[in-house]
Amino acid sequence: MRSKIIVFMYAAFFLFLAAYLFNVQIINGGKFRDLSNKNCIRLIPKSGSRGKILDRNNAIIAGNLLAYDVMVMPKDSWELEASLDKLSKILSMDPRVLEKRFQEGYGAPGAPVSVARRVPVKKALAVEEEKGGAGGIIVHSYPVRYYPFGSMASHVLGYLSEIDHWRLAELEDYGYKTKDIVGFGGIEEKYDYYLRQEDGGLSVEVDRKGKMVRVIGFKPPQSGKNVHLTIDSRLQQIAEEVLKEKKGAVVLMNPYNGEILALASSPDFAPSVFVEKNQSVIQGLFSSRNSPLMNRAISAAYPPGSIFKLVVAAAGLETGKINKSQTFECTGSVAVGQQEFACNGVHGLQNMEEAIAHSCNSYFYRLGLLLGPQIIHDYAVKFGFAVSSGIELPYESAGLIPSPVWKKIHRFRSWFDGDTANFAIGQGDVLVTPLQVARMTAVFANQGKLVQPVIMKAIDGKNVAQYHSNIHETHLKISTIKDIREGMRAVVQDARGTANMLNSLPVPIAGKTGTAQAAGGAPHGWFAGFFPYDNPRFVLCVFLERGGSGADASRAAKEIIEKMVEQNLI
Amino acid sequence: MDKTTIKILIFALLIAFLGILSIYSSTYQKEGALWDMIPKRQVLWVLLGVLCFIGVYNSNYRRLWDWTYLLYGLLLCLLALVFIIGIVRLGAQRWLKIAWVNFQPSEFVKLSIVIFLARYFSAKSADNISLKIRNYGLVKAFLWPSLFVAFPAGLIMEQPDLGSATIIIIIFIAMLFLANVKFRYIALFFSVVMLAMPFIWDYLRGYQKDRLLVFLNPNADPLGAGYTIIQSKIAIGSGGFFGKGWLAGTQNQLHFLPESHTDFIFAVFCEEWGFIGAFILLLLYFLLIRQGFIIAERTQDNFGRLMAYGISMMLGIQVFINMAMNLGLAPVVGLPLPLMSYGGSSVIVTFAYLGILANINRKRTVF
Repeated sequence: MRSKIIVFMYAAFFLFLAAYLFNVQIINGGKFRDLSNKNCIRLIPKSGSRGKILDRNNAIIAGNLLAYDVMVMPKDSWELEASLDKLSKILSMDPRVLEKRFQEGYGAPGAPVSVARRVPVKKALAVEEEKGGAGGIIVHSYPVRYYPFGSMASHVLGYLSEIDHWRLAELEDYGYKTKDIVGFGGIEEKYDYYLRQEDGGLSVEVDRKGKMVRVIGFKPPQSGKNVHLTIDSRLQQIAEEVLKEKKGAVVLMNPYNGEILALASSPDFAPSVFVEKNQSVIQGLFSSRNSPLMNRAISAAYPPGSIFKLVVAAAGLETGKINKSQTFECTGSVAVGQQEFACNGVHGLQNMEEAIAHSCNSYFYRLGLLLGPQIIHDYAVKFGFAVSSGIELPYESAGLIPSPVWKKIHRFRSWFDGDTANFAIGQGDVLVTPLQVARMTAVFANQGKLVQPVIMKAIDGKNVAQYHSNIHETHLKISTIKDIREGMRAVVQDARGTANMLNSLPVPIAGKTGTAQAAGGAPHGWFAGFFPYDNPRFVLCVFLERGGSGADASRAAKEIIEKMVEQNLI
Repeated sequence: MDKTTIKILIFALLIAFLGILSIYSSTYQKEGALWDMIPKRQVLWVLLGVLCFIGVYNSNYRRLWDWTYLLYGLLLCLLALVFIIGIVRLGAQRWLKIAWVNFQPSEFVKLSIVIFLARYFSAKSADNISLKIRNYGLVKAFLWPSLFVAFPAGLIMEQPDLGSATIIIIIFIAMLFLANVKFRYIALFFSVVMLAMPFIWDYLRGYQKDRLLVFLNPNADPLGAGYTIIQSKIAIGSGGFFGKGWLAGTQNQLHFLPESHTDFIFAVFCEEWGFIGAFILLLLYFLLIRQGFIIAERTQDNFGRLMAYGISMMLGIQVFINMAMNLGLAPVVGLPLPLMSYGGSSVIVTFAYLGILANINRKRTVF
């Protein structure tokens, strides 16, 4: 009977429905329950702001500004069109561009899509005011890094960007997540843990139109801690102005406690391009042969040249191999083995003070040969070379001080007297960072203490410099320091001193210049000194990468000190 | 009233009651006087439906035999009228406004087609009392009724009301089958429909194509045509075993579910009452429609028997397609769930169907 078949089919249909309901509601019920929660529960992120970075006088170097993104909540297509139309009028943008951005950014139903990023405040207000009936338009405000001084101290600060694989792997245990914005380089990286904010948010129940029905939970956002640096932004600006258009670094430090007052490196970069995600500029920064992202003051090591003679002189005096009045005759060159080692002039009879003032190579070749390489090496280490200084910045280079053992291990060669001669005038394999040079200079300025440079003054108002600072006694004889100080003073005061041009300044200065030969190209220029001479308050190190000579560096130092005098900062 | 009639009425009223609860739930969050009216109106429709049931129960279904062509002609006129003065709602022209009531003729057309087919296939020859259908050839057994069905079905499709048109075609096939029309004719009809598919496809409106495509892959357009299917499935699934409770279904209360008081009332019910509720509802529908089949089997009169089968199948198919649509098993075609969905025409016609069933049960012994 056909009717039986119909009745049977009818019963089968109902059984099928019951079975399918069982499948959907019970077997897959949990999944659909999640989906339904996701449907109606929205998380509205409330971002905290990253801690500010301030200088020693509480001037903000890296602060936060509110940025405004205009977002659209996906919904019926006709409504979307009206919203985009309205937005294009207010923002004076092409509606097709907005639509394209919407389509590209579309993720899930009910999740707002950002169609215009970083809208100016006025436009954001205009959107908020005029959106009126056009539904689904949201103006999302959130803090972004803001640099009131532009590119000032960019190497000290570092920049902010999305976390990379490497950092994520390292930091995952500390609660970092993909897409987190973290610091790269500088204080932003080193103190990211303190600076970083904790985002909070609201979880709300919404209806189909995204209208809030009720608040389910709220976690208040936590702002990051503010960090105070020892940097004085006025000094930092002076240093950077002088370095402009040059390659090099300037370090200005308090000789007694190691507080860094200015740490400049050139060329520099504007950290704001990373905030704006200006890809072409960022690409340029990474690919530039001038490495503008590198902090030349701490991350790169260079041959020190004649600056190193201060270490050799101290070693000579300390070991008693020489006294300050002992002289060597400079005939323009010294024969070491079968090689002639040239001096930068014919100086005649030179005692220590004169040799330092004139930077006589002959004197130091002889002194070096008298001391031997191991003693020079040991004193260089005593002055803080070959180890990183311990400043609170990442990627610090340790530099290199060679020794016979080192040469045997790394170069597979024996050490010759010619190496010693080169070593004694800071050439050969010696590599130092400008910060290490400043640290060494400070030993003479502060009567024998090796200070650890510090750049952190306080975190969230709590003084940390006192815990970070680390002052070693070098136990140098008072007479040694006095003799070398006199030599450094003569560099400026002596009519034939290499930095005599600084004598015209109203501040008494002591220092040492250096012109370091570098393979294939112009030499590096150095000036390291301290002032005022009697009661030093500043240690200054100027380094010009392939910048000509010690005279060029002295000229830069002069400009810096002149400006400091002008602005009454001494 | 006999036992069967009382059973039918009780099952129908229980279902209608659950429907009103769900309609209330689906509208009470919505603001506006119109939404407040909807559950009240549904109560009115159910009461009118019960009156209609009693009226039909107390008449005689054999009169429909005489009125068949009159009814058929009248409804054809109404369908034509829909095109001339019909109200456009949700992009479709399906409603006629008579006095203050919006009236949907396609609901009544389904009924008249069942009556028409029942009469056509139960005609007897004058000389012996055997059914004529046994001797009909291709033209009389198949072509003529096809034409009679094709007319209103075409008009309904043009409204466009794909759901009702599909139901009419399914009912036609089922009636051919039940009337003992030769199997090869049914097979022929089937192949004709299949051959016509590509042409029908071209003829469909854009949104109808979308819906059919989306049925195959709801994620193709999650915000547009696929939205309804996805949301409805989420609503049903998230109900779980016990449901979220009356007035507490988030999918429904927060308006994620479109058309929640009409075509998707089943999803609303399942979300709030869970598998237990849905199972009880299924059982009620099953028992209700089973009464129709029982009556049909008991009836000796061919006209009454075919009509009872037709009506039961009509209800069963509508229930099945609507639920399948809610569960994402059938395309969204705009079809109410009988007795549950909001809508005067549907409720009253359904009660009329049930009234006819009860009447057949009462009068069958006469013949």
